[in-house]
Amino acid sequence: MNVHATPQMTAAEQALIDTYGQLFSDLPGDTAVVVRRDEAVEALKSGLPTRRVEAWHYTDLRRLLSTVPAFDPLARAKEQPALLSGATVLPVLSGTVTSMPQIEGVAIRRIFDRLSDGSLAAQLFDGDAADAIGAINTAFVGDGYALDIAEGAEIAKPIELQNLHEGGQTHVRFATHAGRNSRATIVERQTGTGEALVSAISHITVEDGAELTWIILQEQPDDATFLGQTNIEIGADAKFTLFFMNAGGKLVRQEVTVNVAGEGSEFILRGVNLLAGGTHCDVTMVLDHAAANTVSTEVIRNVVTDQAKGVFQGQIRVAREAQKTDAKMACNTLLLTDEGEFSAKPELEIFADDVACGHGATVTEIDQGHLFYLMARGIDEKTARGLLVRAFLAEVIEDLENEAMVEALEEKLTAWFATHG
Amino acid sequence: MLEIKNLHARVAETGTEIIRGLDLTVKAGEVAAIMGPNGSGKSTLSYVLAGRPDYEVTDGDILYDGQSILEMDPAERAAAGVFLAFQYPMEIPGVATMEFLKVAINSQRRARGDAELKIPDLLKKVKEAAGTLEMDMAMLKRPLNVGFSGGEKKRAEILQMMLLEPKLCVLDETDSGLDIDALKIVADGVNALRSPERAMVVITHYQRLLDYIVPDTVHVLSRGRVVKSGDKGLALELEKNGYAGVVGEAA
Amino acid sequence: MPAVQETIEQVRNIDVDQYKYGFETLIETDKAPKGLNEDIIRLISAKKDEPEWMLDWRLEAFRRWQTMSEPSWARVSYPEIDFQDIHYYAAPKSTSGPTSLEEVDPELLRTYEKLGIPLKEQEILAGVRKQGEPSDLDAIEGNGGRRVAVDAVFDSVSVVTTFKKELAAAGVIFCSISEAIREHPDLVRKYLGTVVPTSDNYYATLNTAVFTDGSFVYVPKGVRCPMELSTYFRINEKNTGQFERTLIIAEEGAYVSYLEGCTAPQRDENQLHAAVVELIALDDAEIKYSTVQNWYPGDKDGKGGIYNFVTKRGDCRGKNSKISWTQVETGSAITWKYPSCILRGDNSQGEFYSIAVSNGHQQIDSGTKMLHLGKNTVSRIISKGISAGRSNNTYRGQVSVHRKATNARNFTNCDSLLIGNDCGAHTVPYIEAKNATAKLEHEATTSKISEDQLFYVMQRGIPEEEAIALIVNGFVKEVIQELPMEFAVEAQKLIGISLEGSVG
Repeated sequence: MNVHATPQMTAAEQALIDTYGQLFSDLPGDTAVVVRRDEAVEALKSGLPTRRVEAWHYTDLRRLLSTVPAFDPLARAKEQPALLSGATVLPVLSGTVTSMPQIEGVAIRRIFDRLSDGSLAAQLFDGDAADAIGAINTAFVGDGYALDIAEGAEIAKPIELQNLHEGGQTHVRFATHAGRNSRATIVERQTGTGEALVSAISHITVEDGAELTWIILQEQPDDATFLGQTNIEIGADAKFTLFFMNAGGKLVRQEVTVNVAGEGSEFILRGVNLLAGGTHCDVTMVLDHAAANTVSTEVIRNVVTDQAKGVFQGQIRVAREAQKTDAKMACNTLLLTDEGEFSAKPELEIFADDVACGHGATVTEIDQGHLFYLMARGIDEKTARGLLVRAFLAEVIEDLENEAMVEALEEKLTAWFATHG
Repeated sequence: MLEIKNLHARVAETGTEIIRGLDLTVKAGEVAAIMGPNGSGKSTLSYVLAGRPDYEVTDGDILYDGQSILEMDPAERAAAGVFLAFQYPMEIPGVATMEFLKVAINSQRRARGDAELKIPDLLKKVKEAAGTLEMDMAMLKRPLNVGFSGGEKKRAEILQMMLLEPKLCVLDETDSGLDIDALKIVADGVNALRSPERAMVVITHYQRLLDYIVPDTVHVLSRGRVVKSGDKGLALELEKNGYAGVVGEAA
Repeated sequence: MPAVQETIEQVRNIDVDQYKYGFETLIETDKAPKGLNEDIIRLISAKKDEPEWMLDWRLEAFRRWQTMSEPSWARVSYPEIDFQDIHYYAAPKSTSGPTSLEEVDPELLRTYEKLGIPLKEQEILAGVRKQGEPSDLDAIEGNGGRRVAVDAVFDSVSVVTTFKKELAAAGVIFCSISEAIREHPDLVRKYLGTVVPTSDNYYATLNTAVFTDGSFVYVPKGVRCPMELSTYFRINEKNTGQFERTLIIAEEGAYVSYLEGCTAPQRDENQLHAAVVELIALDDAEIKYSTVQNWYPGDKDGKGGIYNFVTKRGDCRGKNSKISWTQVETGSAITWKYPSCILRGDNSQGEFYSIAVSNGHQQIDSGTKMLHLGKNTVSRIISKGISAGRSNNTYRGQVSVHRKATNARNFTNCDSLLIGNDCGAHTVPYIEAKNATAKLEHEATTSKISEDQLFYVMQRGIPEEEAIALIVNGFVKEVIQELPMEFAVEAQKLIGISLEGSVG
């Protein structure tokens, strides 16, 4: 994936290759899957991407992925209580599916089975040199859930996908197909304990007229590397809302690829990055408007403290035929320490002339006027700062329509501030 | 001066027909008021007269001084003397009002084969007209309509009308967004332009404006057609009884 | 403002596919053979009568250049350049060391006339009027007090510089870089290559090896340069690369405003232009650098045109210094250009105002870098891109606040306008903050001229193409008003001409 020749493999690269050598005979998959796995490992052999690969400009994976822990065959993480009470939990524990709950209107299969029968092969690594996450995950993925939401189904209770680990490596996938005019809310939890390398890839297809809300809550421990990728295709008159909260991890890369493919559809992205300690967190989005009369809005809010480093790359691409596209993106950052860093690269690539596209990016400190106002009301500086930072983030969470969800996420915010505030 | 015959027009993009067989004649020197409920096609009529490309004429004709203007683009119609005072004048960032006036006046003069106006003459004319409308000359240095209040925008429209000296003036809801003092000033400006050579089409929802710009004829529009015509008494009747009676009668 | 009217006049008077500056001047030239090697570099150095250190510097750069590869990250594509198929030195024969204006070839003076060099400078260049004499034009133009000193660079050499004596009285040095290397070696040695180092990038390194001329400006401590300084660059010869090098130094408290204009004849082949400009502002100094770039853009099928690969960088070396770049880019087949500011001094300020118009098959990848190193540094970026025809127009910019740059401020506004559906407009900003007190604001929009606006303007009797020119000139106003007056008028005309034929 690194176009330049890499003279010597890093320890992490070597560990990945060695792990594959040890595991490949135990990994599920038909011939098509095995071919993809081999291609992925070949790609890894040519080296992880450096900052010379534009998509990894601010996250030199080759340098930052310093160690790769071994798989721990004995680890068995425990299921967590759901974020929202009443949700149906589908847990992947240390990389393996252990239960198959029934949900009316949703056909559920194991990724293990879909690898074994080869039906998932098309979603695996396809040779894109910059797709390091796809390559790592393809090499090792063993399980996960595939959901097929029936046409017209309205799934009342949220579905919660849990990817939990107790250290070592886990590589999972979630594949979701939302049939025409279906409605559902899905929560994706990414957490665990101990040093780990976690990769998780979701392919989501939203058929015409469907409305899907997807919440990603990433709370990895301080010594875990999380490589996430969410790929979305949206049909005509459909609506997809993606919300993510990054609140942990040592090295985090969250990739979001969206193809707004059907006319009259809408994509909404809201994200909150809570960055503390030594976290390096990179959210990279590529959004294609491929059809006419589509709308997208993206709002990302970041708080950076301690020595944390944050990155947001957001590229909006409007194809020649995507007339009347309305796309707006905003990335706002509060940088609270001089040791912290934030880099933003919001891009527009426009080929259609009748569009209204824009982006805004700000990096600031807390508004001194607001701070003064609160302090003039007798609130001490520390509390006042906390209130303002929290309000800055809560604004984004409150864009979600589900009140119970807003409450649950704001509790997560409170918990994060209790530790890092 | 203006003869509209069995006009049918629709929104180009959606094909929705708005003007459905409209007939109207306005003579030189006449002030014709067009009234009607919301959605009756009043603003569309003004746009079709000015040649806005979002609308398609599917049938009928618009004759101006006996000639069809359907094939003319908006600039050609304007140069021929058709002026539309917009309900919502557009903001043109970066183009000073004064500069805009100069370009517009001279474009029209060129199109008519007249010599361009020299700057001192232009300034004099603008100063005079602005004075009538109680407009501050400093405002003319600002980009056209950008940051203007509702009242300022309407005055700027009438200022342009005074300076461009059109033969057919179409005023679309010129009273909306004006307080009573501004309304009087604007009406005085319009009245000053009344002349035997000039026709005016005054589009309004309310009778109020017609107290100040007294019309010769009043036409009620409903579902894209003129359903009743009369003199200024008709406007008063509408004020008292509402549109329901007239519109219902016709339907 | 007469400018818009003039724009409209220009648009009317010019055929769709006609590049106004596309004439060729037929005068005898002295040319080096095609190709690039150490001997050619020695030849250039010898022609310029350069000291040994200069030749050594060139040769070192050439050796480095041979180890480098062309950058590929910009959104531009072009066939591989054969660097051996270019003449690296060409000079008009009759102008070897002109000592007075009378010696200048009349063909050359006619060239300046066609280039639209401000009328009063033409008078001087043509010998109608002596420097300092009042002009009949003063009354008409109404700016009798304003004067501009002009340097003209024709292919590889500077042919004439006006107002030299008057400038010298103020202590300002304004001459060709070749002359500066001979006459002011200490100044040149002290500053040349300190902002754009030898190995900065592929084209800059090439320039260092082969540059043939350019301008040199030195404004001493406390001096406000009594007039605007201007250079007109002209590529005339076939298969000739132009590699000019400009160095401007503003000592403590000095001020200078410098303008450059660029044109070239129409040719079927592509010609290479790789310039380097270095600006140095010491404590409390200010440099204002304005460019109207109108190199030949190629024909309507994308044949010919200049490859414009330029490195421009300003160093706000002193505290409270300020460097301001203003550019109007309408020409060139390919533009690769990022005038930047290194905000090293505390309280220093950097500005970048840009209009980039692309039509036909033009490709523009241009923007700026603002590197905040000092405390309380401020930068401002206003970029207006207009894409038409089958062109691609990219803004690429970087704002970087370093760890120790407390209270850094940046405001960036990038607006793009698309005319027609075969072109592309792209915005690629890099925003990097490493200090908690930084305040960075970036906003960008892409849209087309609204139908409503166009209808409104046309309803006032202004024909479509003129209506578009009017709205576009409004769109770029914020940048135009940063230009000195004569340039503002020329720039507006150019924008109108560049967009000619883009409608319908």
